[in-house]
Amino acid sequence: MIATHFSPLDWLIVVVYLFLTLATGLYGRKFIGGISDFLVAGRELGTFIGIATLAATEIGTVTFMYYAELGYKTGYASFVNGLIAGLVMIFIGRTGFIVRRLRAMRLMTVPEFFEVKFSRRLRVFTGVLVATGGVLNMGVFLRVEGTFLAIISGISLNHVKAVMTCILLLELVYTVLGGMVSIVITDFIQYVALSIGTILVTIWSVHAAGLPRMYESVRQTMGLGGFSPFANPNYGLAYVIFQVLIWLAVHTCWQTTAMRTFSTRSPEISRRVFSWTGFIYLGRGMMPMMWGIAALALLGPNQNSIEAMPRMLATVLPSGVLGLVVAGMLAATMSVNSSYLLGWSSIIAQDIILPLRHRPLSSRQQVVLNRTANLFVSAFVMVWGLWYTLPGPTYFYLNMTASIYLSGTLVSVIGGLFWNRANTLGGYMAMSGGAIATIAFFAFKTPASYAGLGAFILAGIGMVVGSFLGKRTQRSPALSGKSPPAS
Amino acid sequence: MNYWYYFWIANFILAGSTFAIITVIVLVRGLGDLRQMLTNLRSEVQPPQ
Repeated sequence: MIATHFSPLDWLIVVVYLFLTLATGLYGRKFIGGISDFLVAGRELGTFIGIATLAATEIGTVTFMYYAELGYKTGYASFVNGLIAGLVMIFIGRTGFIVRRLRAMRLMTVPEFFEVKFSRRLRVFTGVLVATGGVLNMGVFLRVEGTFLAIISGISLNHVKAVMTCILLLELVYTVLGGMVSIVITDFIQYVALSIGTILVTIWSVHAAGLPRMYESVRQTMGLGGFSPFANPNYGLAYVIFQVLIWLAVHTCWQTTAMRTFSTRSPEISRRVFSWTGFIYLGRGMMPMMWGIAALALLGPNQNSIEAMPRMLATVLPSGVLGLVVAGMLAATMSVNSSYLLGWSSIIAQDIILPLRHRPLSSRQQVVLNRTANLFVSAFVMVWGLWYTLPGPTYFYLNMTASIYLSGTLVSVIGGLFWNRANTLGGYMAMSGGAIATIAFFAFKTPASYAGLGAFILAGIGMVVGSFLGKRTQRSPALSGKSPPAS
Repeated sequence: MNYWYYFWIANFILAGSTFAIITVIVLVRGLGDLRQMLTNLRSEVQPPQ
């Protein structure tokens, strides 16, 4: 049992918060008329609700855990991850690179682009890779989030498994019924709760540890490597380049992020959402990394790296504040999980099952199919989360499972949008090259930076070679962004 | 080492303060966006008689 200040008052705050979320989530089901309401909220997102839902979707307890772990293990040098993630997003927002054109095409999923530009079979092939990478990525969330809750609340891991299962079922209920509309409504509340929690924890942990003590701890434990990303053995130039590429891919082609692009009212609003959210991404990375460094200063370097941050919080935060913070973390958990459930199940339904059917389904039938896929993904996540053991730091595992499809997808999307010569064979070779390099990481334990960078290089070579070897593909008028809705 | 430290601390202060400011702006203006979204969706689901 871990010493913690978690009291009945904190439990009360958490339970009230969960009921509030469920009630607002269920309210969203009234607004579902067809598949575009269910998957992209009728493309009705304005700038500020777009920022809230994008930020809430990509800030979860798992985000806090892996970034704090990086802070604990690699000190201030870890900030390079947050800086790159934020700057790349601001760049996309300022230039509209990729997102403006994707939004203009009125898509609902990323693999749908592959049918518009290349072929239906390539859409299915991409859908399989996207669903595999995405579901494996999400598969570890429950375990990591459960670890956080167990440590901070002081209850046993077995009880936490039951609690996490209940939370997943709760998210499932409102996601299945209200789809993206419910998610957007709950994301707004969750964004506010998680932001307050994030700011509170940052102030409390920096105040408790003190900046001079944090500096000294990093210096003594890691030397220059705790400050310079180029002197730290976990990072280096190859890693920095890989991070720029992976974040470019995540912000534009990661299904849950892309669904926000597709849900905005116009390409201009999608660009604005990215410009603003980029600044949030700077804090999304650096603040939890600071918690990890505070844990290093307060608890020393011999803790289990993933558990150090919640252990520190359990002892530093007083009762009442702890409840608010856990409610904030649960908010983060629920907003991420519900969006990811919808995102990956939409790929299975829209990009694998639907294109393989001989007869098309009506909009209503597509909603039912997506709801069934929600159930399937939830069941998988529960089982995978319970038995899989991570091969290394959580952040690197998440990067690599994302790379299974992101490297090939980014290359194919850039090729499809900006290079007339890009064709279906190039698309196949890009997707396969990216996936093979990533699988090598798991098979041969290749360092994440080299495997990740290798995935992008192989995908790029595959696109160029395949496009010169294969036949030219007829460019679809939808690519101009002036065509009628694809669906 | 010190240059890197001050660089990261400056980044951290900038990131933390913009995070807090944007949270307040989104809280104030996001509610209007949310209302607008629900109104538009309602009119699509239940077209006027």
